[in-house]
Amino acid sequence: MFSEALLLFLIRQFHGERTVSGIYHLLKGKQSSQSIQDSYLFGVKPFFHLCDDLERQSFQKLIERLHDCGWIQCVNSKQTTFIITEAGKNKLNKSGIEHTIPDGVKITNYVTTEGQFWLKLQLLIQTLSALRYHETAFLPITKQPPVTEAIRRIVLNRSLTRNELAHQLYQELCRLLTHIPRAEADLFAAQFSGYQMIGLTMKQIADESGKDLYECRMLFKSALRRLMADVSNNKSRYPLVASLISPAVSSLSNTAAVTLRLLRSGLSALETANHRNLSLSTIEDHLVEIALKEPTFDLSEYLAEELEQHIVERAHRLNTRRLKTIKNDLRENASYLQIRLALAKNTLR
Amino acid sequence: MEKMIDLDEEDWLRQAKTILKKKFGYRQFRTGQQKIIQDVLNGRDVFAMMPTGSGKSLCYQIPGYMLNGTVLIVSPLLSLMEDQIKALRSAGEMHARALNGMMHARERVRVLRHLRDLRFLYISPEMLCRSDIREALAKIKISLFVVDEAHCVSQWGHEFRPDYLHLARIREQLGHPACLAVTATADERVREDIIRSLGLHKAAQTIMSVDRANIALVVREVSSDDEKMERLCTLLRSTRLPGIVYCASRDWTEKLAQLVHCKLGIRAAFYHGGMEALDRRKIQNQFLDNQLDLLCCTNAFGMGINKPDIRLVVHFHFPATMNAYLQEIGRVSRDGQQGLAVLYYSPQDNQYPEGFINSNFPEESFLRHIYYELDNGVLTIKNKDQFLNDLQERGSSETAARFIYERVREKPVHQSFQSIFKRSRSIIEQRRSVLLRDLLVMKNYLAATECRRTYYLNIYHESPGKKPVYCCDRCGISLADFDQANFDDTVIHREQLMNWKERLPYIFKEGDRSMQ
Repeated sequence: MFSEALLLFLIRQFHGERTVSGIYHLLKGKQSSQSIQDSYLFGVKPFFHLCDDLERQSFQKLIERLHDCGWIQCVNSKQTTFIITEAGKNKLNKSGIEHTIPDGVKITNYVTTEGQFWLKLQLLIQTLSALRYHETAFLPITKQPPVTEAIRRIVLNRSLTRNELAHQLYQELCRLLTHIPRAEADLFAAQFSGYQMIGLTMKQIADESGKDLYECRMLFKSALRRLMADVSNNKSRYPLVASLISPAVSSLSNTAAVTLRLLRSGLSALETANHRNLSLSTIEDHLVEIALKEPTFDLSEYLAEELEQHIVERAHRLNTRRLKTIKNDLRENASYLQIRLALAKNTLR
Repeated sequence: MEKMIDLDEEDWLRQAKTILKKKFGYRQFRTGQQKIIQDVLNGRDVFAMMPTGSGKSLCYQIPGYMLNGTVLIVSPLLSLMEDQIKALRSAGEMHARALNGMMHARERVRVLRHLRDLRFLYISPEMLCRSDIREALAKIKISLFVVDEAHCVSQWGHEFRPDYLHLARIREQLGHPACLAVTATADERVREDIIRSLGLHKAAQTIMSVDRANIALVVREVSSDDEKMERLCTLLRSTRLPGIVYCASRDWTEKLAQLVHCKLGIRAAFYHGGMEALDRRKIQNQFLDNQLDLLCCTNAFGMGINKPDIRLVVHFHFPATMNAYLQEIGRVSRDGQQGLAVLYYSPQDNQYPEGFINSNFPEESFLRHIYYELDNGVLTIKNKDQFLNDLQERGSSETAARFIYERVREKPVHQSFQSIFKRSRSIIEQRRSVLLRDLLVMKNYLAATECRRTYYLNIYHESPGKKPVYCCDRCGISLADFDQANFDDTVIHREQLMNWKERLPYIFKEGDRSMQ
């Protein structure tokens, strides 16, 4: 099954250096610096926010199943950290999962805005479908105020009539979906709700198509990310859909972006912490995120190049990304922050 | 009492009927509606108990078109407001809006700016307690003050809402408009509570029978869960749908939906409070739109759902009160056609309602500990939501947390929290004994050897009227009479289009236009 292979793959990548919660938060797309860093550190960036609808319970059940099958084994007493066994490696190799991961999920530039974009797209489709069929009332698929406000603005403030608007969205979507592999496009569109045609839930799609739930989630995210990239690169071809993408300038989390702005204005890390009423360690988390996502920002103030080389070399020799092991080796020569920055900068290259 | 409009009897009746026909598409008033509307138009305070599905909302919607000003409807649930407004919009009414805590601040400002133009305003009791909202409301003419689900005002009711206790005072501040209090289920004690708490003056009362003669009642005792599932499958194999299966736990809803779908090929889905909001909404809409035949759900589903052609309600586990049971089966056949309610129970089912009752209250040691933490400043009640959240993090259920909040809020200023412990404990005992008594009534219903209908009508001090053809298992009915085959329902099995090249043109009504 796909879900088993996926989890085995992730457990292998994490190599017992994070608890299973770390994997859960990765899939769920938790907006914490730790999860974001992990996605870079362990080479699993495409999987961040891949299953944002994942329930803790079903995830836990899956882990237990892998354990019962002898594919993973526990490495700590609290039963929270696992590594892959030989049997697990065999299973993983046979699944050939690395070749089945669709290219679309590897587009990660829009990961912070994809959730909101998806809701807006669905609500716009539902609204225009209702208008097209002269349905005066319908129950919107979401009531999140920022989403409903955005759609309201689009529907009310256009120079086009509502029928023209519907036709335009139809045409833009047709063009976009044609550019996406057929299986992904079908799965993507099956979630759209319109007049007397309510969208399916991911679980229903899995049942209907006979595919594994995790695989469906991945195909969906692949389609979504391809579509967002297409729209962003060709705004003039898709003006209506483009208006749904929030102008997030970078993939930094909002709070890290604020920190970056302050740092650029010349504040030190400590001054930034004081200014924002945040702890220094939070600002340090932001620095690591910045190291990952804004490679052009100069961090030499926090980490000299020579030390960086040294840390990378040691980490390589020790064959680990576990901070504590590296720190024990380097002792007072490097701080935790410096180790994290060094690892962050060098996962990119 | 001053009349609100100056029309003689024939005039108002003709006018009301014209509105009924033109706006809502009905030719006749249903039982009770005419008298209630007349009392409302005469400016009286009105208390009405009408069973679900008997057309409560028309009783204030029709006066809304005949009176000057805005009808204000206090409603406890978002989904209820939403559904009502959707219904009004479908009837062409664009001057109906809602004010609740879930909406965007900008949206709220828009509603407040156009208050004067509104014919109907639905509002949550929380919103009504806000002074800025009240000030805005005080500037317009409120023609009628409607309290929907009025049983929420009574602590004896099964859904007590403390915010409802302020409604009498607020009504005064809004210039004392006439009040219409409506509820579907309330026994005598709750009725008296409502009339007193809302300050209804010489209320005109319309108490309709809780009997839904078009719903046949069947109770089946079984020995195990397996037998239950077997019986359920046999029932569903032939019985007329759409239907709802109520379960006591989320796990069961998922299990049964899977079972029914795999074994019988019925288009079934589950619905419970643990699902993502988006998925819940999709499933609900699919059910309303006949894309599903069966919904397996917890009691999270149902409030504010308006689907008149549900033919079957099954209880896979029995609820904790007769009120809840009647409310849940009341969703069957609101269009007046024949419907069926089946309840299965096995001896081990007792754990569910008892567990539910216990989860309403904190355990003694827990409560003592919380009061200790409050006295020592570890916990504070400055922020209600934070406090409720803190309690839940310490292991409390949500209802128990609300219970504690209510106790703590009543505490006299100069006393310690410890000092109200005894009183809190005795309130728990009181409430628990009421709930246990309700549960006992429910259990007695299951064990009753006489006619089920007669039994529950007795609870509401009603005597049974003419016995319907399909009454209950005790009076003898055959489930075969509810066979799908006996009804010529044209079930439209609309294909779920999985192919985007078909789905998209349908959604956008682009049928014949060629793809570009």
